[in-house]
Amino acid sequence: MERRTFLKLVGLSSLFAEGAFRRLFAAPQPTVAVARGKDYARTTRSALALLGGMKRFVKPGDVVVLKPNMGWDRTPAQAANTHPLVVRALAEEALAAGAKRVKVFDRTCNDERRCYVQSGISDALKGMKGVELKFIENERFRRVPIKGAVLPAWELYDEALSADVFINVPVAKHHGLSRLTLGLKNVMGVMGGNRGSIHRHLDDALADINSVLKSHLTVIDATRILTDHGPQGGSPADVKVMDTVIASTDIVAADAYATTLFGLKPEDIPVTVAAHKRGLGEMNLKRVRIVTA
Amino acid sequence: MKRITSARISQLLFLVLFLVLFINTEYRGRDEINGAVNAFFRADPLVAAAYLLAAKAFTWLLLPAVLLLVATALLGRFFCGWICPLGTILDLLGGRFRRRGAPSLFTGNAKYWVLLPLLGAALAGINLAGLLDPLAILVRGLAFSLHPLLGDTTRGAWVGLYRVLGEGRDLLAPGYALIRDHVLPFRETAYPLAFLSALILAGVIGLEGCESRCWCRRLCPLGTLLGLAARFSPFNRRPEKLCADCRACSGLCPTSFDREILQKEECIFCMECAVRCPSARVRFLPGSPLAGEGPLLPQRRVLLGGVIGGLLAARFFRFRDPAAQARVLRPPGVRDEGAFLAACVRCGECMKVCLRSALYPAVLQSGVEGLYTPVLIPRLGYCEYNCTLCGQVCPTGAIPNLPVPAKKREVIGKAVFDRNHCLPFAKKINCIVCEEHCPIPAKAIRSRRVLDTDDQGRQVELLVPYVVDELCNGCGICENVCPVEGKAGIEVFAVKDRTPLREFQGPVPVEKGGDPYG
Repeated sequence: MERRTFLKLVGLSSLFAEGAFRRLFAAPQPTVAVARGKDYARTTRSALALLGGMKRFVKPGDVVVLKPNMGWDRTPAQAANTHPLVVRALAEEALAAGAKRVKVFDRTCNDERRCYVQSGISDALKGMKGVELKFIENERFRRVPIKGAVLPAWELYDEALSADVFINVPVAKHHGLSRLTLGLKNVMGVMGGNRGSIHRHLDDALADINSVLKSHLTVIDATRILTDHGPQGGSPADVKVMDTVIASTDIVAADAYATTLFGLKPEDIPVTVAAHKRGLGEMNLKRVRIVTA
Repeated sequence: MKRITSARISQLLFLVLFLVLFINTEYRGRDEINGAVNAFFRADPLVAAAYLLAAKAFTWLLLPAVLLLVATALLGRFFCGWICPLGTILDLLGGRFRRRGAPSLFTGNAKYWVLLPLLGAALAGINLAGLLDPLAILVRGLAFSLHPLLGDTTRGAWVGLYRVLGEGRDLLAPGYALIRDHVLPFRETAYPLAFLSALILAGVIGLEGCESRCWCRRLCPLGTLLGLAARFSPFNRRPEKLCADCRACSGLCPTSFDREILQKEECIFCMECAVRCPSARVRFLPGSPLAGEGPLLPQRRVLLGGVIGGLLAARFFRFRDPAAQARVLRPPGVRDEGAFLAACVRCGECMKVCLRSALYPAVLQSGVEGLYTPVLIPRLGYCEYNCTLCGQVCPTGAIPNLPVPAKKREVIGKAVFDRNHCLPFAKKINCIVCEEHCPIPAKAIRSRRVLDTDDQGRQVELLVPYVVDELCNGCGICENVCPVEGKAGIEVFAVKDRTPLREFQGPVPVEKGGDPYG
């Protein structure tokens, strides 16, 4: 074979093989764990177990941040906040894995005192040694350079950034603008400043934030989901019980899977698409290993 | 402070109780407040009298005040010497002043010229009693000035520690949490009239520089009212006059023994003269009521002049600027402005307790007659959907104490979009932060999916918001969270018709549009 033909052949074949090569050399196929069951604490634990258990993420002495969605003055049954049992199970698992401290907080939309109480999370975590349910303190926001597609920089919460392990625990629910709010949108809870102003380019802005604040683990509470009038709902008619907890190290894949629970496709959610395009994770569920229990 | 007597112990206990109730007038993790400082106002006969005259109705909430008035008619002005927290503060601080003697302006009928116009104005429907009520002066001074100052300073130090220690500050966090949760106000709220409130309180304390209990004796309208009732008390001091051989009482008495005979309407039953009498002569014994010096009521010209002055004042200060008026948003459950002005004590409790610091004392936006009445300023705070605290602490029911479901339906105002500011209209940019935050389950703010062309000529799919008036309760969260800087793209305006919203019957049918779940 002539040298030229050889080069052509190799060049062309690499074009075809590109996908295959990628799969071989790129990050291994992301896993999404899906657990179902009425006992939400146990369901959360089995989702974790499918991923290899909390010990895979939390090393002894770590400071762990759990970022549930508890932004609204709504009860657990109203599906606007992360279920308290899911949060508690994660806190217990983190402690069992040797975490030094587990911090739980959210920058709420309604009054933080009412949100923490009404969400049931305050009660659920009461008396747990090593677990702190904390109010946001403004002085802890720190301006972080992002150099993203739309956000050059933003004030982010120091305790979230400095945590050894950041566990993102959203509740799956409807949202008027982004259609759904899942893991990618849940990080808005550590944003300072006039965060409402990012709604004008929400998809790219959220991708920007998620590119600097990485969720080591995303656990989506879909024990019950809010199908309409999100993000705070209020009417039981909008709540659908799914008894599902989804966990993944790939936030985009977790969001993509959760989208299907609403009868939607991942590509229907612009935030998911934007994050995928930025290389923050896999949205094509065919390329995701889904394990169930 | 002088030596310990039962009156002193009672004073201190009531002062502590007052402060505990004041601190407790805040959300503490439960929907109901167990005890709030309104207990003191409900026992305040001046509040009751002004309410009766202004609202021309009785409310059982004020029964304790009636009981206190009856007790005063039996026992005298014991409230002032045993209970009143402002009086206690005056006693605690008064010793530090060098007395110069009361200015002539305050002597004689001055106290009636304070009390009677207040009652006269009440008769005309404007309840101004709270402006000079001693408890209200104290609560406002604390709530608008001193408590926020304490909060600001402590929190400032705490933030300063963070700048120095960083995360290391967490070691001290439990100690700070204790103070934050049990002493400090939750939010750093700056109130209008903070300075005036502090000034009035300081002025009352400063009067101690004239003579002891100068305020209580010469001006306090509550004291004057109690003094009128005290004249009926059958308890008389024996001997009635200063004893020629001693006259020690004139130095011991904090109020009225600078004359020969103890003035019954000014005696606050502190018992100093009885406890410290060198010859143990002094007794308070039952005898004939109405004993004492001078007539029961002041001269006719004072009586008439005072009442008529109040009536006129109430009429002369009625001017209201319509533009400001449009933004006078009252707390939830207030349906009629006139009835509200007649019943509101201006004690400041609703503003103290407001969860989101949404309520502020009116300066002039509701006219001079509305000074210190609560007004909701949505850009600073909104009415929390599930919260009923202001109604719980209102001493007169001017803000009704409603169950949560009823309160949610009460109309504060109505939200209106300003298309010159609202992003989808003005800039062709998607936003819907207001819709997101609207707490009404069926959403009083909704949006249509509209195809439009932006300024660059690009096709854009816009979510264009609109208000459903039948569902809007005017809570103001939309205006509060509107990300447009400065003036919001949506604002809540006052409405005359504040008929509560219809009872929610499940989900309200939603206009089918681009809604994926419709």
